[in-house]
Amino acid sequence: MRNFLAFIRQFRVLLFFALLQGIVLTWHFRSLNYPRSQYLTTASTFTGKFYETQHEITQYLNLRRNNSWLQRENARLHKYENKSLMKLERNLVKIDDTLHKVQYAYIPAEVINSTYTRRNNYFTLNVGKKQGIEKNMGVFSANGVLGTVHSVGEHFCIVKSCLTKNINIAVMIESSGEHGFLKWDGKDARRGSLTGISNDSKVEKWSKVVTRGSAGIFPQGLPVGKVEKTKVLEGKPLWDVTILFSENFRRVQRVYVIKNLLRDEQLDLEKPYQAQQ
Amino acid sequence: MSSSIIQHIIRFLLVFLLQVLILNQIEIGYGIQLMIYPLFIFLLPVEMNVFYLMLLAFGLGGFIDYFSNTFGLHASSLLVFAYFRPIIFKIFAPRDGYDLLLETNLFNMGRSWFIRSFGLLLIIHHFWFFLLEIFKLSEILYILKQTGLSVVLSFILCVLFQYLFLRKPKKEL
Repeated sequence: MRNFLAFIRQFRVLLFFALLQGIVLTWHFRSLNYPRSQYLTTASTFTGKFYETQHEITQYLNLRRNNSWLQRENARLHKYENKSLMKLERNLVKIDDTLHKVQYAYIPAEVINSTYTRRNNYFTLNVGKKQGIEKNMGVFSANGVLGTVHSVGEHFCIVKSCLTKNINIAVMIESSGEHGFLKWDGKDARRGSLTGISNDSKVEKWSKVVTRGSAGIFPQGLPVGKVEKTKVLEGKPLWDVTILFSENFRRVQRVYVIKNLLRDEQLDLEKPYQAQQ
Repeated sequence: MSSSIIQHIIRFLLVFLLQVLILNQIEIGYGIQLMIYPLFIFLLPVEMNVFYLMLLAFGLGGFIDYFSNTFGLHASSLLVFAYFRPIIFKIFAPRDGYDLLLETNLFNMGRSWFIRSFGLLLIIHHFWFFLLEIFKLSEILYILKQTGLSVVLSFILCVLFQYLFLRKPKKEL
């Protein structure tokens, strides 16, 4: 017993250091892998308010660019509006469309804090539980996909951006339909990579990469980026595809959170099959 | 005594706000990250108990993590900084010991002492930070590159901070 006490006294500094370090490291690895609480992140009300105040001051810096993005998006959407289409069949009475059912709803939001230089980058948005945000919802902007919701607070939420280690969004090459997963190597904020594309098919340079929509997080066909170059992975029949993101993660401000109204149905249906695997 | 406590509290807030509001938003490229908050722990009184040092490091680092979504990265590396501070201070102790009334800043302790002790601690701090953030031994060269580049810039920043916010001692004649 005395030896034990003497041991503790001799190494008390080191032991105290190890204790604190243990707390911190548990926090670190747990929140990276299993995000459970929003309390120690910027999704909590206190830090959310802090960054909202900062955002109110600095939001004007990118106003012009953001406006032009939104205007371009509006122009694209105007194309699809009823009033800009010409009626070809003038004799027929148009009845309510029952072929289409709304599957995705969009919640507008604003980025109030973001990082892009770290290994794992996150956005803080000014919407939360009160606005109907849930974990794992997709987030995109006028230019392309941004990421998925990581944790949700009362009025704020944190989005895991495409610039994180294991983002794994299902994407495909638009022209050929070849699909794989989006990855990021942690260095360049403008480039990501695509894994799981087999090298027996040719991948055209600058072909568009869009979301596949298989997980029910994103609708199909949201832009992600363009193929910049392809390289053969050694020892595997796969391409290593480098893509150039269409979104500029540094400047993004206005975003939409995607709510999939049929996601529960899809998950319920898929559950027994996933358990088998 | 109480005035020096207030001084440290103000410095705590200043360093924290600088880090969270400004330095975390700056992008230089090459993976460089600027960090100024280790200076706060470094400038605490010499005779301060290492337990208090580590608790303060835990607090300040945790606070910065809380505000920048880094989940304990800053707290962990600042703890390492606080743990090594007394050890480095012992190694580089001046011949006749430390003057307990003086703060261990650039002006009081001299340029070469400051570069040696603060530089070494900052290298340890940054190395631990990037090691933990990247967490892949196969990228050790990249970690070293990032550490090297960031240490130089953070060091310059800390020197600038002292020129801007600390009172220079009057030359005794």
